[in-house]
Amino acid sequence: MTHLDHLYRVAVHLAKEPDQAHDLVQETYARALGSYEQFVAGTHLKAWLTKILHNLFFDRYREAKRWVSVEEDKAGKDEEGDYWQRIPAENPGPESNVLRGELSDKISDAIKKLPEEFRTLIVLVDMEDFSYAEAAEILSCPLGTVRSRLSRGRELLHRYLKDYVGTKEKV
Amino acid sequence: MKCEEAQELITALIDHELIGPEQVSIEEHIEGCSSCRFIHSRQLALKSAVHKAGAGLKAPAALKERILHDPRVFRPKPAVFEPLRTSRLYLRPALAVALLILLVLPLLYMMRPAAKPLSLNALEVHEKIIGGELSFIRGGSPEAIKEALYRSVAGAFAPMTYDLTALKLKAVGGTVREFDGRKVLVTIYEGDGLTVTCYTFLGTETDAPPAAERFYDAVKKINFYTYARGGINAVMHREGNLICILVSPLPAPQLLSLARSNA
Repeated sequence: MTHLDHLYRVAVHLAKEPDQAHDLVQETYARALGSYEQFVAGTHLKAWLTKILHNLFFDRYREAKRWVSVEEDKAGKDEEGDYWQRIPAENPGPESNVLRGELSDKISDAIKKLPEEFRTLIVLVDMEDFSYAEAAEILSCPLGTVRSRLSRGRELLHRYLKDYVGTKEKV
Repeated sequence: MKCEEAQELITALIDHELIGPEQVSIEEHIEGCSSCRFIHSRQLALKSAVHKAGAGLKAPAALKERILHDPRVFRPKPAVFEPLRTSRLYLRPALAVALLILLVLPLLYMMRPAAKPLSLNALEVHEKIIGGELSFIRGGSPEAIKEALYRSVAGAFAPMTYDLTALKLKAVGGTVREFDGRKVLVTIYEGDGLTVTCYTFLGTETDAPPAAERFYDAVKKINFYTYARGGINAVMHREGNLICILVSPLPAPQLLSLARSNA
């Protein structure tokens, strides 16, 4: 099944419940096969599937808009956490793997706490490597919106993860 | 550039979505601003962490199974074997029937009533013409009748003509009959209260009835077959690939003599 892992990752971060995520992925394949004649050969299949999944999510489970003002809270520049840098990048031992697993869960949980507008873009661009143009096409929004929402989304996500992800560089 | 304005550009720079003046502008700002440099580094670390977190996340096997069993996604293969199963169900009875047909058909063929020789049909046609049951085209000269009959078989063969003037008979009409797919040209001679019919068709001497009496004309080297039914006599002989039959209530010897003289 093409792009199953990718669709699952997107679904699991968009939907609140695992069952919803499973439903989204399954329904995406069913919808895609049902409207395969609409897919233009040679275009981005992964993006097309993702757009179907997002539209499904939008129709079924989309939560009420919750705009969060990240500018209000400037706290967080004084980062204490340097969790990621503490994990060796090369030759990680068993203990490191456990730590990485814990961090992945923390990141996943933090992404799920983001408002949908930010959450979707963090997943599409940071996790799934879509370009801004592809993300804009998937979400049917302007390119500038992608950039601004990503910026705000990362700011908010950092706040959630400030104890776990940071940088050695201090202000 | 103010730091507030730099935030979105830092995001785009990290994602390699900037080109030209914007890229140069933000790179210069970051170079001179420790706060934005820190935000840049922080976003880089965050993006990397999110990417790594996602890389380890795979679809569970249960989901794969669920999709694999969704008939909307993976349609069941067309039941190409279903007809085979059905045919297997009826295979033995079908074979039995086929075998029965193979055995019974030859038996039925051998037991069939012997096909009536074409020559015997001439007697029936004659009776029908006499009885008025069979109409034929009248009129025209003997040559015109012959020509019409010749054309009726697309020139495949011409009707045999007889000179029956001694009996005061002349050709008055003709018709075409078909028996077992073979066309028979019939010429009707009438005169002085007598009717003689003459039949011409493509055939061999095997067309003679088995019970016919054979007379061999040594001079003309021709076999003549005489037969009769219900007081109607017939004389058959072959000329090349043509069979000629004269049918009349005339006595058999006289009819044979007539046939021999015209052969």
